[in-house]
Amino acid sequence: MNRARRDVGETLLEIVFTIVIISVTITALVSSMATAATAGTAQRRSVQLDVAIRNYAEAVKAGAQSCVDGGFYAVNIPNQAGFSFSGASATGNPCRSPTAPPTVLTLTVIGPSGSHASMQLAVRTP
Amino acid sequence: MNIRRSHPQHKDSGAALLLAIGTVMMIGVISASLASAATSSLQNRTSIEALRNREYAADGAIEQAITSLRGSAPFLLDCTAASGSMHGNDFTLVNGVAMRVDWVNTCSQVSGYNQRNVMFSACLDTPSPPCASANVIIRAQVNFEPAKGPATKTFVQSWSVNR
Repeated sequence: MNRARRDVGETLLEIVFTIVIISVTITALVSSMATAATAGTAQRRSVQLDVAIRNYAEAVKAGAQSCVDGGFYAVNIPNQAGFSFSGASATGNPCRSPTAPPTVLTLTVIGPSGSHASMQLAVRTP
Repeated sequence: MNIRRSHPQHKDSGAALLLAIGTVMMIGVISASLASAATSSLQNRTSIEALRNREYAADGAIEQAITSLRGSAPFLLDCTAASGSMHGNDFTLVNGVAMRVDWVNTCSQVSGYNQRNVMFSACLDTPSPPCASANVIIRAQVNFEPAKGPATKTFVQSWSVNR
């Protein structure tokens, strides 16, 4: 049998194997890219929520600085589109006695995607 | 016209497989780095929350310490430049994080008026107290008025978040 006859079909087999292997690896690559994209989105949402809840907490602290015993304080709630804030309202938050323990508020922020962040904040009357 | 098809040269055999293996390795490295990036993103998310909770726990712990110090027995004494410094600590739990606050009371005289300033240092309540300088999360200086007896007003003079 000459060499040409013996080589018949080898290239086809190589190509078939190559296509199978590349298909598997491309599937893995696409899957990894999808996971990375999902993780990136989650990370971005998490950072946005972090910024929003920190802004909210600082606004509450700033509001409580104007407290007088028995009075009320207002909170300049951040104007961030799509976010909702709860835990301290824009007006009518009661001030405690300066000698009473700080008020521990639980602040919650819900983002546009429905993800939320929550934390406790202690405020006192100066 | 008679076209003669040439067979692959023997020296080319296996080239496609080698190329495939090379491609697999390259894509494998890219996939691994993407997976690593995704894992890193998820870990960052967790650490952002932990850092925020810890920072506001330290913040709340100092607020708590200021309030509990106000009107406490050491503060009923007259605070003059000749007074020695006093110190103490306070413990709180905010955001599920146990915090320790160390405070040092310094008495001084500015423009003929006695001043009572207290330096607060908040750190995690770990088994090895007190708050070492490198472990302080928030350090705050607060002025208590008046310099003798229960404080009626507090003024935050500095509030620094260190870590």
